[in-house]
Amino acid sequence: MNDNELSRRRFLSLGGAAALAAGLAACTGTGSSDTGSTGGPGTGAKTLRLFTYEDNSTVDLLKAQVKAFDQKNGTTTTVDSLPGSGAAVYPDKLRTELLGGKGPDVWRIWGGQIGAPFVKAKQSMDLSAYYTKFGWDSKLSPAAIEGMTFGGVKGGVPFIGAGIGGWYSKAAFSKAGISAPPKTYGELEEVNAKLVAAGITPASLGGKYGWDIMRLFEYLLEVSAGPDLHDKLLTGAESWDRPEVVTAFTNFKKWQDQKWLPEGAVGLDPADVENWYVQGKAAYTMTGAWTEAQGIQAGGKKSDDFGVFQLPTDQTPARHSGFVEGYMVNAKSGNPDMAAALIDFLVQVDTIKALKITNAVVTGAEPDQATLPLSYEWAQGPGKQPFYTIQDQALPKKQADQYFAVQSDVLQGKTSPADAAKKMQDVIKAWDKD
Amino acid sequence: MGVPARRKTRHGGLVAWAFALPALLVYFAFLVYPALSSLWFSFTDWDGLSAGYNVVGLGNYADMAADPVVRQAAVNNLIWAVVTVVVPVVAGLALAVVLNGTVRGKPFLRLIFYTPAVLPLVSVASIWGWLYNPQYGAINAALRAVGLDSLAQPWLGQDSTALGATMVAAIWLRVGFPMLLYLAALQSISPDLYEAATVDGAGKWQQFWHITMPGLRPAHYVVIALSVIDSFKVFDLIYAMTYGGPGTATQVMGTWMYFNVFQYNQAGYGTAIAVVITVVAIAVSIPYVRSQTKEHAV
Repeated sequence: MNDNELSRRRFLSLGGAAALAAGLAACTGTGSSDTGSTGGPGTGAKTLRLFTYEDNSTVDLLKAQVKAFDQKNGTTTTVDSLPGSGAAVYPDKLRTELLGGKGPDVWRIWGGQIGAPFVKAKQSMDLSAYYTKFGWDSKLSPAAIEGMTFGGVKGGVPFIGAGIGGWYSKAAFSKAGISAPPKTYGELEEVNAKLVAAGITPASLGGKYGWDIMRLFEYLLEVSAGPDLHDKLLTGAESWDRPEVVTAFTNFKKWQDQKWLPEGAVGLDPADVENWYVQGKAAYTMTGAWTEAQGIQAGGKKSDDFGVFQLPTDQTPARHSGFVEGYMVNAKSGNPDMAAALIDFLVQVDTIKALKITNAVVTGAEPDQATLPLSYEWAQGPGKQPFYTIQDQALPKKQADQYFAVQSDVLQGKTSPADAAKKMQDVIKAWDKD
Repeated sequence: MGVPARRKTRHGGLVAWAFALPALLVYFAFLVYPALSSLWFSFTDWDGLSAGYNVVGLGNYADMAADPVVRQAAVNNLIWAVVTVVVPVVAGLALAVVLNGTVRGKPFLRLIFYTPAVLPLVSVASIWGWLYNPQYGAINAALRAVGLDSLAQPWLGQDSTALGATMVAAIWLRVGFPMLLYLAALQSISPDLYEAATVDGAGKWQQFWHITMPGLRPAHYVVIALSVIDSFKVFDLIYAMTYGGPGTATQVMGTWMYFNVFQYNQAGYGTAIAVVITVVAIAVSIPYVRSQTKEHAV
């Protein structure tokens, strides 16, 4: 063995190890119970960290309220935010922080299947005792609490219950000769046809990440299946391979074929598309009340020039899709009592109002009619109706992605509505088996 | 004669190890240990969040064989590797040869062609996302402006064009790197060779094949090997431009690994995918490593 061979072999083995290490190190973690040591969150009795996904328009309001809490309690709370990341990215960051042992004491999270893994993995605390201590059961909407209860464990405290409605431009409707929002699904189709005839894209929805496009499909499923069957489909209690689901997929395809959606909607980023109705590029979108502050008013427009309506389902009760957001406490927080006290402070009516939250689930914290008239209108009307959970929260992420893949195939004409219904049944059956 | 030499080697070896120790500690702590951890987790059903897990042996690897998305991702990786290596390397070589000649405004042109390579990938994804917007994007607008309306497409919104569209962005991004390396290599070829060839009556094409190409041989190794390795690491551009969609049309092994580890709570399965990616990356990088070792040995 000469020096060159030795050198090459060493080099290869080290190079191989380096490549192996570089490739694998990115996805390593630890399965030991040492994760999230108490050395991270709340090491000092008076130190807390709150992790959220507030955007730049609201994070300062939150920081101001947290500062008020700190002054009252002698605490020091750090607020970290990952703005604009959405449910596609934020939970990953949170998960990584928790596994790294430096998880926050309190974090904001969506309900349903997005929040569930943190409770299942016991990364978040069972807050039942604090529900009793702070009387949250009587202060917060029971439906919202249900959305933050996982397998019987009260793993989070809800503070937002967002309902999805139709937010529209009055100018666009007027230009198309539409005098009032639709009251039935048939009328909504007529509205779409009139808008297209007037050269206006009806619904500004984008399908990247599944968001938006899935809002449309779940609405169409509510229309064709009705509340009872819709709920049973989501739990796997009824088969998806049935006429009501085929009808929903057929209507879904119709929305694209009739150009009621933007061209290439499946590949469009909702963040780019959602505000088209504000910018005059489309007539309406399907979104929540946050759009009034963050879309209409942030875009320098007046609320008076826009309107909101409940997407008509022709069903009783008339439901809309919705979701819950809340706070969880780190199971390894060094100061769980103070973390819970912070949450209690954040769900006070005065705090909710100071934070300008338009869809709070806190009794007495309705939106201000003077500053947010459309949000108020929604809260007083459709917002009081029951809602079905948006389907990327109703289903685990993997199944939600498969669901969206089926929807994408239907819109591209690669899968017929009948086959799509069969494929969805396979997805749900596999989930049930898992 | 042999004894002093051995002593020298041992002594020198210990000193070398002592100097290398701090770096090796970092290397083992942050690369080797996590890598071995990941290898272990690939034999488990760990969800990536819980404290406990079960050992499933080769179950995750068996599941990969039956996973249609893995097959699709592997094919996409292969297409990506071929296209985003061949096109940028050929284009980079062509640009280098042209810009090494007597073109006016050479510094400016070099800057223009290399600029995409220094842009953050997320910015590149955003730029191309806007260009590809079906209704308001510049690409469809240009096609419609010249009467090619029928070619206007929802580029990122349909399976048939989404992967190709992301590869165009990758080519635009990557063409500057081989161009730069080839430009540097071209400087090392003696002008005397071209002068002599011209005197002997060789044409430009003959000079290219018989002087330029042989002179660039060391650069070819580096450019192609690094491009191949880079192509197997594809993740961010796909993630930011299409999120693996529509459906799973643009999933590659890197993104599918990420989805499983970080989004589907299937860390065991995801790390099994990572192990496979790593093994393939090592296999394709061996010729490059060998060539570099030979050079160092010389």
